[in-house]
Amino acid sequence: MPEHRTATPEEWQAARDELLKLEKEHTRRGDELARMRRELPWMKVEKDYRLETEEGPKGLADLFDGRSQLLVYHFMFGPSYEAGCPTCSSMADGLDGLIPHLHARDLTPLFVSRAPLEKLQAYKQRMGWKMPWASSAGTDFNFDFQASYTDEQVREHMGPMLDDPPPVLRQMADAAGTDVAGYVSEGPAATVFALADGDVYRTYSTGARGLEFLMGYYPILDRLPKGRDEGSSGSDHWVRRHDEYEAS
Amino acid sequence: MPEHKVGTREEWQAARDELAKLEAEHAELGRKAAEKRRELPWVPVEKEYEFDTEDGKKTLAELFDGRSQLLAYNIMYGPDYQVGACPGCTNLGDELEGTRVHLNHRDVTLICFSRAPIDRLVAYKERMGWTFPYVSTYDTDFPLDYGLMLTPEQAEQIPEVQELIANPPDWMQEWAEMVGAELKDGVREAPSFIAFARDNGAIYHTYTVAAPDPFVQPYSQFLLDRTPKPQPEEPRAWRKDEYPDA
Repeated sequence: MPEHRTATPEEWQAARDELLKLEKEHTRRGDELARMRRELPWMKVEKDYRLETEEGPKGLADLFDGRSQLLVYHFMFGPSYEAGCPTCSSMADGLDGLIPHLHARDLTPLFVSRAPLEKLQAYKQRMGWKMPWASSAGTDFNFDFQASYTDEQVREHMGPMLDDPPPVLRQMADAAGTDVAGYVSEGPAATVFALADGDVYRTYSTGARGLEFLMGYYPILDRLPKGRDEGSSGSDHWVRRHDEYEAS
Repeated sequence: MPEHKVGTREEWQAARDELAKLEAEHAELGRKAAEKRRELPWVPVEKEYEFDTEDGKKTLAELFDGRSQLLAYNIMYGPDYQVGACPGCTNLGDELEGTRVHLNHRDVTLICFSRAPIDRLVAYKERMGWTFPYVSTYDTDFPLDYGLMLTPEQAEQIPEVQELIANPPDWMQEWAEMVGAELKDGVREAPSFIAFARDNGAIYHTYTVAAPDPFVQPYSQFLLDRTPKPQPEEPRAWRKDEYPDA
């Protein structure tokens, strides 16, 4: 347990009230950001993408499934992967319970990955998820939305790191059953689309740390004594697939 | 054409990059708040509490289930609720389900509390298909000691609560019908997260966060904060098996 001091309930309450000011400031600015996101211009999607789904090939507009908003999480599961990225998998665990409540708010959540559909389906079944999952294999979709990278882009961005990758990258590549170059050909990203008068628009995209809103466990850990407990550099990688944790 | 402003890829990207700076500042503020939370003093729990659980009576220490951090979400489901728990709290319960396994492996035991008797909690849990431990604080001092409820006398002393009961908006009325309680009793449960730590055999209260903090509202809002449609003014919520168009 981290070091701590003890206090009377009154002392605790005074410290808590002080903290509440900061929490309220965080909330207020979060509300402001939500408003500003809605003011972003929309970008019309001109290309005609065809993605593979459990119900056959579908265009982007069909993937909205009758609703007017679509949130695509570009789940890291590249063509060379044997299994999905463990961190994306931990996010998926939490998102599954949200599906009916998002549908009720005119939002269709969807995973898209570049691996072939059969691989995605087998993995989805293993993990027990309900989330719809489309394959963008053979299309530009993931590349156009900064979620997949060509071999040239990987070499250009990663360079010498490919020969001597940090341990966490090796660990993740091993867990996905591919090599480091194959693993980093996919990046985590989320893209939000709107459908209006039959046209599709990209309204919002985010990646890297901007994806924490999809990780239900972080805000919870941020409210507990040990916090995220990921080491001084924040790189201790503790997340496993839910069926691969050692018994504890 | 949509009513919304449409931009080129470059225009969209420029606006997005500008917003990213503010998002980074917001994330930094969140990290600061998390740091501040960990600086809060801990308050030793002196009283012995005994709760009804699905596995019989348990003390607070036993609820830790061998881990050193306990986080409980207090679902609004009071003894006066004849139909079921608050629908908004129920949504949050749905969302905690899949995340729990990962928290368990970070030394966190995640449970839910409610004040209704245990047999009603067990039936509701089964209906919702939940697996987290659901613990009843019925007939204990615990909810009162930790601000998870109001007595009728306390509720009468709070002008905002009295105003709400006297002139409830429509959605509040509907909410009261959905839980099956009179509004004056319905509002006496406090939706909150409460955290405890166990260290060298002693138990400490470390943190409580209550509504209207967004952390205590359904988690789906964080996704909806990133979608184009504005959120409705009124926080209506439905249980997943009761959506009108389902």
